[in-house]
Amino acid sequence: MASKDLVLESATDRNARFERDAIVYMDKLYAAALRYTKNPEDARDLVQDTYLKAFNSFHQFEEGTNLRAWMYRVLTTTFINSYRKDQRRPQLASGELEDWQLAEAQSHTSDLGKSAEAEALENLPDSDIKRALQEIPEEFRIAVYLADVEGFSYKEIADIVDVPAGTVMSRLHRGRKLLREKLSDYAKELGYSTDSKKSGKGEKS
Amino acid sequence: MSHIEEIPCIEVLSSVVFIIEGVAEESRNPQAIASHLNSCLACQAEVDHEQAMHILLQDALRRTCDERAPEELHRSIHEELLRQATGGAGVTEVVTQFSMTEISIEIDEFGNVEHREIQIEQTHVERYEDS
Repeated sequence: MASKDLVLESATDRNARFERDAIVYMDKLYAAALRYTKNPEDARDLVQDTYLKAFNSFHQFEEGTNLRAWMYRVLTTTFINSYRKDQRRPQLASGELEDWQLAEAQSHTSDLGKSAEAEALENLPDSDIKRALQEIPEEFRIAVYLADVEGFSYKEIADIVDVPAGTVMSRLHRGRKLLREKLSDYAKELGYSTDSKKSGKGEKS
Repeated sequence: MSHIEEIPCIEVLSSVVFIIEGVAEESRNPQAIASHLNSCLACQAEVDHEQAMHILLQDALRRTCDERAPEELHRSIHEELLRQATGGAGVTEVVTQFSMTEISIEIDEFGNVEHREIQIEQTHVERYEDS
């Protein structure tokens, strides 16, 4: 329920409050929109739409709750509803943790593999990092972005993206894994070896 | 005391994401995982590696995804909000508040003083659709 103060707030005050509090997130939302839409024109439109929507439903925002998370929620919902190129992309089944946890056999990584992977991550140019993000499927990209760049908790992300928390956990797990696989592929192309055999300069296949 | 179940490495490794997220206690079998990690060097090393890689990946992503919104976008959003706020939305809201305090003092025949204050507040909101 709205508190008494909000009821008494005039439209003008509310508008001023919105500009004061929400505008500071514009750069961050734009960077997120670039990752979502993959191009600057759509990103600009998406951010503009996000602010308009947020402005017009600002009376629904409960003061004292997390405005930043709310803005990301508006951004993400707007993107999913109107900007997604492939509207019919099936959402992943509202995943039980068990499905992915058990399905994915993991084994220990060799020590050499570990140091090579770290070296690759430290040395890859920014353009490769962006490319890898663009190439992983959207639901993974959004989850990983919100967690690792924006620092939202997996429960906050569940709320922003509107999926169960377990699904977010699975997307983070798989998304990061995919991203690291892409990055080590690029690293190999650049000549960093991420194989467990130490092979020095890269063999391009 | 309660018996802690023994679990294989694979079960620990598949829960690493919970440890990375700092919510190990929310994984399926937190006690068994903690106790496994206490005794399995290979899994310990794997968790350490995953944590280190996570930090590297996070650093790389944060370093890379730091674009700023173009100045022109800042301007156009500001203007659009202004338009919405002034007339664009087509609604003028008038908020009127009344406030009144009624004070009464009674002195009875024994000289007892009774003092009462009643605060009356009323808020009235009128919305006018422009156009």
